[in-house]
Amino acid sequence: MIKAEKVFFSYTGSPPYVLDGINLKIRTGDYMSVVGENGSGKSTLLRLILRFIKPTSGSILSQAKRVGYVPQKNDFSNANFPITVYEALNSYRKLLKIKNRGVITESLERVGMTNFTGVLMGALSAGQNQRILIARALMGDPDLLILDEPLNGVDTNSQKEIYDFLKKINRENGITIVSVEHNLDAVISNSTLIYHLMGGQGHLCTPRRYADEFLKYRGKDDTHA
Amino acid sequence: MLNYGFMQNAIFVSMFIAILCPCIGIFLVLRRYSMIGDTLSHASLAGITIGLMANQNPILGAFIFTSICGALIEFLRSYFKKYTDLILTIVLSLSVGIAITIISSGKLRANADSFMFGSILTVTRLDVVLVLILSAISVLTLILLYHQMIYIAYDEDAAKVAGVKVGLINYVFFVLVASAISVSIRIVGVLVLSSMIALPVATALQLGKGFKLTLIFSIVFSVIDIMLGLFVSYYLNVAPGGFTALVSVAVLVLVLIAKRLQSSISAARSK
Repeated sequence: MIKAEKVFFSYTGSPPYVLDGINLKIRTGDYMSVVGENGSGKSTLLRLILRFIKPTSGSILSQAKRVGYVPQKNDFSNANFPITVYEALNSYRKLLKIKNRGVITESLERVGMTNFTGVLMGALSAGQNQRILIARALMGDPDLLILDEPLNGVDTNSQKEIYDFLKKINRENGITIVSVEHNLDAVISNSTLIYHLMGGQGHLCTPRRYADEFLKYRGKDDTHA
Repeated sequence: MLNYGFMQNAIFVSMFIAILCPCIGIFLVLRRYSMIGDTLSHASLAGITIGLMANQNPILGAFIFTSICGALIEFLRSYFKKYTDLILTIVLSLSVGIAITIISSGKLRANADSFMFGSILTVTRLDVVLVLILSAISVLTLILLYHQMIYIAYDEDAAKVAGVKVGLINYVFFVLVASAISVSIRIVGVLVLSSMIALPVATALQLGKGFKLTLIFSIVFSVIDIMLGLFVSYYLNVAPGGFTALVSVAVLVLVLIAKRLQSSISAARSK
């Protein structure tokens, strides 16, 4: 579904590179978590996949026809924007050129938020806000869902519910998921693949192997991740 | 007062200003671009002076030159990503430089002062027609791009993912800003024009409503501000622009006080 070949990226266009010649293949139906320390290039990788930015060199090819995107909560500076849940979803429906208004209720039902249509987005809790953003991302029936640290600042109970939901739509609906994560427990229990970025290089492995390596590494140095 | 032809023209134009300015202003304010509105207002003075010097309609001159400045701001954003406020200084220097040079050259065939402070006496029939055309095109464009503009202001990344051509719409948006400014210059004047763009929206935002209601309240406050400003300035024999700005601030302060009183009463009741 997504193939990155020899991708170099730096914000200045010259070394040092944030991503230093990475190669990556994501197949349809994968649930890939991207992990790594702050500044390791996780969000940059997502922005490259989303085509918000272009690689300095190399190529990223995506076969995804419909993409859903859930932004990082901390990046979302418009918390006080005067917009209700209904308006946020209805305008997005219009952008996606979906004629059926029922899609709003359907997507809210999927995340258990049908009673919140008239509420201002800024009045929602962190967990509720992320559910709405996930509902929005799912509205266009995407084959690829990209999430950038989706559950930062969300309480533990809501986190579990949302992770279970993401796992369900990946396993049952076959939606490919690429998610930048810090929650290592969730990464290990939900993902089918883990991509660890460090020093501009990426390392792809299975959750089991990552758990073994991470636990071994954490034994030596508790500051990791 | 209403029997005077100039007053009828002024009221007609004022109604369009009252509708168009908050429609554009809401996007400027929510994108934190209020200062761009201010810069383009001042940039319009160069367009006015160029229009007057060329013996053409100054509103048309303002519209064309302000559109170019708006496009220039959008273009320069890619060169000054980390210093976007510098772009405003560049555009302001260019436009005010042009305006002052032309005014001081003595080559103007008319007085530019009325455009600085606003005047109800100088609105001509041709101005009314131009204002009508610009406003109609702007409102139609806004209706067509309503959802795209909301998302560019609310969540630009999500808009890009949904396939919105953000760059192109940004250029269109700056033409709309230029249009709102050109429509407003005659009555409101260059110096306080940005108050008509930002203050009714700032007042409506205090009500804590969704987007559509905030927009409707912005228009309501805008109509109140400009009509009060127009009528009272007529009786006080002062420039309508300055007085409308004062009314806008007064309405904002009243709404803030009402909001504070309401929350105090609610707090007292809940005890």
